[in-house]
Amino acid sequence: MIEDRADAGGLEPEVVEAVAAPKGPGRSRWGVVAVLLVGLLLLPLSRPFIDSYNYTVLLATNGLMWIALASSWNILGGYSGYISLGHAVFLGVGGYVAAVPLFYYGVSPFLTALAGGLAAVALGLVAGLITLRTRGPAFIISTIALLFMFLLIFENIDYLGGTAGLPLPVVPISRDWLKAPFFYAMLIAAVGSIVLSYQVAHSKFGLGLRAIAEDETKAEVAGVPTRFYKIIAFALSAFWVGVAGAMWGYSLAFVRPTLFFTVAISAQMVLMAIIGGRGTVAGPVIGAVLIVAVNEFSLTQFGSSEINILISGVLLVTVLLFFPLGIVGTLREKRLLPAFLDWD
Amino acid sequence: MALLEIRNVNAGYGKGPDILKGLSLEVEAGTSYCIIGPNGAGKSTLLKVISGLLPPRSGEVVFRDVPFNGARPDQVLASGICFVPQDQAVFPEMSVKENLTIGAYLEKDRSVIKERMERVFDLFPILAERASQDGGTMSGGQQQMLALGRALMIDPAVMMLDEPSLGLAPQIAQQIFSTIRELEALGITIVMVEQNAVRGLELADWGVVLDLGIVRFEGPADTILDDPRIRELYLGKAVGSGGTT
Amino acid sequence: MTEILQVTIFGLLLGGVYALFASGLTLAFGVMRIVNLAHAVFIVAAAYATFFAFEELGIDPLVSIIWLVPLFFILGVGLYMTFFVRIEGSPRYVEMTVLLTFGIAIMIEGLLGWRFTGIYRQTQPSYLTDAYFWGDYIVPAGQLYAALLSLILLIALWLFLRFTRVGYGIRATMQNRDAAQLVGVNVRRVSAISFGISTAFAGAGGAFMSYLFPFFPFRHWQWIALLLALVVLGGMGSLKGAVAGALILGVASSLVVDQIGAGWGPMAFYAALFGILLVRPQGLFGKEAVA
Repeated sequence: MIEDRADAGGLEPEVVEAVAAPKGPGRSRWGVVAVLLVGLLLLPLSRPFIDSYNYTVLLATNGLMWIALASSWNILGGYSGYISLGHAVFLGVGGYVAAVPLFYYGVSPFLTALAGGLAAVALGLVAGLITLRTRGPAFIISTIALLFMFLLIFENIDYLGGTAGLPLPVVPISRDWLKAPFFYAMLIAAVGSIVLSYQVAHSKFGLGLRAIAEDETKAEVAGVPTRFYKIIAFALSAFWVGVAGAMWGYSLAFVRPTLFFTVAISAQMVLMAIIGGRGTVAGPVIGAVLIVAVNEFSLTQFGSSEINILISGVLLVTVLLFFPLGIVGTLREKRLLPAFLDWD
Repeated sequence: MALLEIRNVNAGYGKGPDILKGLSLEVEAGTSYCIIGPNGAGKSTLLKVISGLLPPRSGEVVFRDVPFNGARPDQVLASGICFVPQDQAVFPEMSVKENLTIGAYLEKDRSVIKERMERVFDLFPILAERASQDGGTMSGGQQQMLALGRALMIDPAVMMLDEPSLGLAPQIAQQIFSTIRELEALGITIVMVEQNAVRGLELADWGVVLDLGIVRFEGPADTILDDPRIRELYLGKAVGSGGTT
Repeated sequence: MTEILQVTIFGLLLGGVYALFASGLTLAFGVMRIVNLAHAVFIVAAAYATFFAFEELGIDPLVSIIWLVPLFFILGVGLYMTFFVRIEGSPRYVEMTVLLTFGIAIMIEGLLGWRFTGIYRQTQPSYLTDAYFWGDYIVPAGQLYAALLSLILLIALWLFLRFTRVGYGIRATMQNRDAAQLVGVNVRRVSAISFGISTAFAGAGGAFMSYLFPFFPFRHWQWIALLLALVVLGGMGSLKGAVAGALILGVASSLVVDQIGAGWGPMAFYAALFGILLVRPQGLFGKEAVA
């Protein structure tokens, strides 16, 4: 869709058609997805067959979480073009909403993860009501402020453990299979967020968001309820991040403000979505896989997370200056995009 | 030899289509031009290309036999062509005097700046009266005079005006037009785009009709005014409104 | 009453330094429409430079301003010519500047973290613990010097903008970019100079940060959040607004710290930001909505 949007000013009829009428997903695309999915479903059962089982499953879990985060971010930042640098706030809220009942009452986060997601949605709605009164830079600034405000609040409330956070018990199952439930939970979050992203992309709502990204004033004139759409997009993009936060805290066995409410996490989401291709369904997924791989590589190679940060920055600047459409967008422009990555 | 030549220029905005489609035009020194044409014909675009605000996609602008080749606006200005755009031409938070001073931004000799400012004040006594008032707080007509006065500060050979009477009350517009006549008398070559085509053509020596990005007709302004085809095609509405003012 | 006045003195001194930090940020937005998320990391980088100049060579932080300003001016001009010239005229330009400076900020943060690790640093000049007494009130020497020098730099900037030819060009570009081009301002050159001034102020700010506020690489995010909040409060691109916002929030956050608790100081900034978004999205001194 990228090239169509670039050419057509706003709601040209042919764009409407192209966006609104999803091309029937080819059979080969579904084949690739089915193989991937079956592979992923079987991965945690592979314990007897691979040596570095824990490492592999952990890495895969991590990758799935970032897929969920980047795909969710893309719903707001990609489709509507409203860049949020504060999305980590939803990860933190989800994490704490699940951690508090666990810490104080022993309620399993697997039961409260949904509540974590819904709390994130509620926050998205309220924050959206205020921050989306503005456009462009002021919105971006207010998302950063939102994140730091929450960091401040969570660091200063004793009930939530203050700066030290809350230590959490480990899942009461055999150590051998400890990683499996988190893997499946993150798989659900990843698939869920991709499906959500796909649904939005192929709906009238998604079309409205794209119109907002193109030219908000024109969209408004064309009858798109821009403010309402933006707030809904903000809230939707929070849901799976909240769920992932609930799971993440449990898997780490602690929650801590500086770990959750951090720009570094927001930065990764932005980076993944932009490198993969923002505003596309597959882009954030590709971006997430790629960045997790790069991070893992540089961590084992250089053994310092600072180098990681440096590499992230260099990648972001390079992509922005030379491939602003990201991997998926650039491949599509050159007509080299393989069918299994084309979901727009 | 023409003072200013536009040769086969194509131009447009962003990724959009060409607005100017191979347009050519020659501007002679000491003649005043009025460019007319329907909305979207490319009138303002042409002025933006000449002024350097919009680099042409192809073709060239040649001034005194020197091609501009994508010169920046400040370089175009330094060579003697100034442009007074349609709206928001003044600096709202600067005083009249500061607005005029910055009009001579390229001139470093303070005594020359002072001299020119005196000339502007002679031409526009209202500006002298309001020298310390902020540009943004003046009326539309006064802002337009300030914009013209500021353009004079560079002592230009060619002055391009985009809709100088736009949004002004009839008698204020009349004032602006008579000022433009005085500028002509100073020996400045005027290239003007004017929505009020009849009024513009009455003022100018030479009329140019733009349509769909090229020059459709050109000729002495009175001939253009009297040409029945042009009257019908391009002056239809303007005759009516021109007749009432 | 004495306590409130004492807190106000602390707040005003802080506000003076915040004003210096924020003026560069608002200048970059006003002239070039750049929302510079890397502004605070420049300050932190300058704080490191000051720190090592002091530790290794014994150069006083306040003296370091003399070389930090030109150095950071050159760095700023270089950055502008390397990165921002490329995105001139790109669609959704302002948003592009946010993402680009976000990337630059991450890059510099990574670089600083890699070279200097994540540990807290603070320069310890002799006047760090000195204080003057004014009646019953305490005026910490280090903060006083920082606030006074910030004031001098801000006045110098004002004089420069007011009375020099380039200053005229910068103000014209801030008020009306197109018209500035049409009176002969070389907007690109003026932009590069303005960005240089913006980073030069970050350089000077770093000298103060090095002894006033303990720092480590990641710290710049907290700073940029505060500075952006106060720039929005004052009205983006308004220098007057940035200074007023800085003084107001300097005092407000000091009062919050005094009345509620040390950890809550920055809350004044965020409350002010969201409050102003609800009431007057264009900020105190802004002419247009920050859209």
